[in-house]
Amino acid sequence: MSTLTLNINGKPYGPIDVPDGMMLVDVLHEYLGLTGTRFGCGQGECRACTVIVDDERGPREVRSCITGAHYFADKKIRTVEGHAKRDEKGQVTALSPVQQAFLDNFSFQCGYCTPGFVNAATVLLERLAKTPVRSDELEATILEALNPHLCRCTGYVRYYQAVKQLVLATPGLVKT
Amino acid sequence: MKQSGWKRVVLALAIVWAAWWLVSLVASWWSGRGPVQRVDASPQQLALGRYLVEAADCAACHSAPGRAAFAGGVPLHSPFGTIYGTNITPDPDHGIGRYTADDFFHAVTAGEARDGHQLYPAMPYVSYKTMTRADSDAIYAFLMNQPAVKQANLDNDVRFPANIRATLLGWNLFFAGAEATPASPGSSPAWQRGRYLVETLGHCGECHSPRKLLGQIDRSQPLEGNKEIGRFAAPDITPQALAARGWDGASLNRYLATGVAEQAVASDEMLTVVNLSTSRLIPEDVEAMTVYLLGDAPPAPVAAAPASAGSPGHPDYLNLCAGCHGQDGNGVPNVSVSLRANSSVRDADPHNLIVVMLDGLPEHDFPGLARMQDMPGFAADLDDARAASLVNWLRRELGGQSTNVDAAAVRDLRHQEH
Repeated sequence: MSTLTLNINGKPYGPIDVPDGMMLVDVLHEYLGLTGTRFGCGQGECRACTVIVDDERGPREVRSCITGAHYFADKKIRTVEGHAKRDEKGQVTALSPVQQAFLDNFSFQCGYCTPGFVNAATVLLERLAKTPVRSDELEATILEALNPHLCRCTGYVRYYQAVKQLVLATPGLVKT
Repeated sequence: MKQSGWKRVVLALAIVWAAWWLVSLVASWWSGRGPVQRVDASPQQLALGRYLVEAADCAACHSAPGRAAFAGGVPLHSPFGTIYGTNITPDPDHGIGRYTADDFFHAVTAGEARDGHQLYPAMPYVSYKTMTRADSDAIYAFLMNQPAVKQANLDNDVRFPANIRATLLGWNLFFAGAEATPASPGSSPAWQRGRYLVETLGHCGECHSPRKLLGQIDRSQPLEGNKEIGRFAAPDITPQALAARGWDGASLNRYLATGVAEQAVASDEMLTVVNLSTSRLIPEDVEAMTVYLLGDAPPAPVAAAPASAGSPGHPDYLNLCAGCHGQDGNGVPNVSVSLRANSSVRDADPHNLIVVMLDGLPEHDFPGLARMQDMPGFAADLDDARAASLVNWLRRELGGQSTNVDAAAVRDLRHQEH
């Protein structure tokens, strides 16, 4: 057991006592009430548990089911709860562009994989904002970014379609 | 006068060289002709040939993924350059269609192609030189009855002076004849069969024996491991070294037959060896290989030391490794290997453990339905000192090894060209 302070979605959490070796997803669920991150395979394969880490190498995806909570002690984390705009009461006023694109395209059915896809697509968009790709490389880039994420309802096509639409509609992500 | 004498010598050498070049050109043109061979073989002979082709693992170098079987194209990287496996289908122009059984036996055991050019020792003729004529003929019959594939051989990328194939005549003179000292003491029929399977057909020593300056295998240290063979080291597989890492006959049999054992799963090039070769052998032959590797009187496997948690490196283990390998290090079947008593963790040489930690591993697909998930590399998460601490923690707590790995060892492997 060690004391842990976390920074999640711009807010400090803790200090709380967390067992050494407890995975981040369990701390999110059981200690912090942040239940949006999904526990899927529990072995880092499906990527439903993906969160975003903003550090010197970030923004980057990290699998919260196979990474110990104490790993995140000095790092900034974003979870699926952190994307939408909220008012002072915490009510959602506007979804993030990625979330809205997934809704508009009916990208998911059961939604279990969606938090992982939202985070993956968000990381991709932020990366493209810094280093745009040529338009003929866009599809391969999206495939590379989303490929590791599993969706058992076979919604892949509409996820990819949503991300492609959003990238093309957002200025500055594709080299002209 | 001295100067013109010099010139005369140079001129003479040039003439000799030109004559040699012309003669070899004519010879190669002449021997490139010749009748296309047709080989009739009974189903039993073909089955035996197929089995021996698998035991000799011909496909590992001669069947490239995505290309036709036995049509060549697998790159083999060596300190002398990259050499590509050749087309050994019965195509008369690109393959071995004009080879007689004599030509084939000569190529396989003496390293000289039908047209007279010397094969690079990437083709393990130094190991195959003890192949029986009957086995060579069965392999020949099998290959000659495979579909002929019109596929040209890829150009090798070998540096000077090794790109002059005639230099291999000298190399062969010194190194090709050497007999491998047995890697273990023994004399039983199983041991002798195993010696033939391991040293000759399986050519295990080509990777697992250390090599000397000119690439020749150090026959005085058979199967004692080779770190220069690629990014991963081929570990020491002599009886004492295997026993020290916890291997016994039963677990080695399982490893060779399936790729999966308590001590390790086959990875990197060894996974290809298991998939294409050892997993296809009959149990008696796998057993014979094991008997040869451990000797007629196998040393007792050494039990792994008990673990005790809490030291530098342990927090990183819990945060980065335990999610898949478990807090106790026992792993999960078909997902992640057990690190407790793992052969690489217990290896006196930490080379492979460091490489795996830095690079990760791709997904593994074993014979049958067994799998292992891919492992991410942690080169970006762990600096040299932290990686060294983690390696030391694993080696001490799960492997019972000394904790002698320092940051420099990690740094060297991090920056190794590969």
